[in-house]
Amino acid sequence: MAQNQDLYDAILNGNAKKAHAATEAALAAGVLPMALIQESMVPAMDEVGRLFECEEYFVPELLLAGRAMKGALELLKPLLAAAGQKMAVRVVIGTVKGDLHDIGKNIVASMLEGSGFEVIDLGTDVSPENFVAAVVDRKPHVVCMSALLTVTMPAMKLTIDALKTAGLRTQVKVLIGGAPVTSQYAREIGADGYSENANSAVGLVKNLLAGEAA
Amino acid sequence: MPVGADLVLHQEPNPENVRNDGPALGRVIERTARRWNTPLAIPLMDLRLEKIDLLARIGVSARNADAYHFAAPLDDATLAALCDQQATSSCPGSTARDEALQYIASIPGLIPVGMAIGPFSLVTRLMADPISAAAMAGRGQTPDDSDDVRLLFQCLQIAEAAVHRSVRSQIAHCARAIMVCEPAANTSFISPRQLKSGSSIFERLVMEPNLRLKAVLDQGACDLIFHDCGELIDPMVQAFAHRLHPVILSLGGSRKLWEDARLVPGDVVLYGNLPTKSFYSDGAMPLEEVVRRTRELLANMKACGHPHILGSECDVLFVPEARDTILKKVDAMMAVTAPADPLLKADS
Repeated sequence: MAQNQDLYDAILNGNAKKAHAATEAALAAGVLPMALIQESMVPAMDEVGRLFECEEYFVPELLLAGRAMKGALELLKPLLAAAGQKMAVRVVIGTVKGDLHDIGKNIVASMLEGSGFEVIDLGTDVSPENFVAAVVDRKPHVVCMSALLTVTMPAMKLTIDALKTAGLRTQVKVLIGGAPVTSQYAREIGADGYSENANSAVGLVKNLLAGEAA
Repeated sequence: MPVGADLVLHQEPNPENVRNDGPALGRVIERTARRWNTPLAIPLMDLRLEKIDLLARIGVSARNADAYHFAAPLDDATLAALCDQQATSSCPGSTARDEALQYIASIPGLIPVGMAIGPFSLVTRLMADPISAAAMAGRGQTPDDSDDVRLLFQCLQIAEAAVHRSVRSQIAHCARAIMVCEPAANTSFISPRQLKSGSSIFERLVMEPNLRLKAVLDQGACDLIFHDCGELIDPMVQAFAHRLHPVILSLGGSRKLWEDARLVPGDVVLYGNLPTKSFYSDGAMPLEEVVRRTRELLANMKACGHPHILGSECDVLFVPEARDTILKKVDAMMAVTAPADPLLKADS
């Protein structure tokens, strides 16, 4: 297997049309969907993340790359499903109760999806009960919560408490983020991690799950 | 002075009622100014009002306005209805905001200050994914190339109209200055990489609409206080300071104001910028750190000689269970400026 340079470049440059076309061409040439993901798409998103960390890319570039990746993935998902293959890690994400801000959450969701995770986006204003229901129904490995307002941050703790009460807390890793959130706050409320941006959220999920597997 | 009306509002037995009661809201704003000993009567930073009033024109209720996003380009009739400059009835919060301005104007010694969301920041609240649309436009895609880009510029058009209606109403209700809040004009929405490569997207989405807004304020003999607490690069700060030329430029906690002073004309007062968003947490921001940072800021601003008003990086929001913690730190920040403070004694 080898990297598909057209697909890699299209994602790196956030060109959704070219990513779509390159994926179609590769599939027509007989390349396996999982090979495209592992050899071209995930490495492209890794490079996007690296460029973000060194401040060559910014959030707009992250989003465009994520969009290109997502568009290409949509072509592959039915094929993966038909072959009995699925994404290895499932993430539930949402903005907490009382908070309608979704841009930060959407960026994180896009980056996670672009990095090959299955993302279940619960939207905004998600109650603790709905997070719990999603954990029961979808059995994610990770729950990500976002809050933009200091006023709505306490809902993060309420959600973690609800997961504990439901006996689910040990089954999932809980990550939090958002403008007023800090690592200190994450520790105070019993979250597993805090991320200050979308790119580091991807790394954090990988590290937490790797730690669990170790 | 902090932007602290929300903290004072929540001393009321029923804060939500006061939001919609002009005279009562005016008294809260007056108490806020008195509490922190400033003539500037800064109101609540409620950046929802223009969107509520805008969407009411097409029948979206105030309850649903916050979460409402346009999903597809607008037809001509909708666009015309949203852009029409003729005043229509405002939501209770906007009416109260305007009546509170009149209340403040009747009090000697206080300056009635209005509040409005900036045009671009309102755009970002009207679309589900404004960042991608702005990024595509920044790459040179036009409305003919992409529905997302078409919607972006339509939203800019209706946002400008909505903000103009808001500031005209506030000027008519005696506002002598208006704080225009553009927190979305930042590097998360506008790519510095694109700007570096020559894109005009910052001009088209942020500067041009705000220059037109400034002209409306100038016509009404109303001063501009420009607030942007987002992550900025230096050329953005320079553009705000030199070309919008506000009387006060309010920046977020990530900026070092004493370094920004070199980017700002001497007649533009810098305001801010203690990291008040983290005041709720004693772990993240202990009281001693608030005092240390305040002293550092004051000393550096004094050293650079640029006019400065000590304040918050944004509005200081009430947080249930943390109100006393926040107030204690805001008061400690302001106490550093009191004559008894050793730093000022030493300087005097």
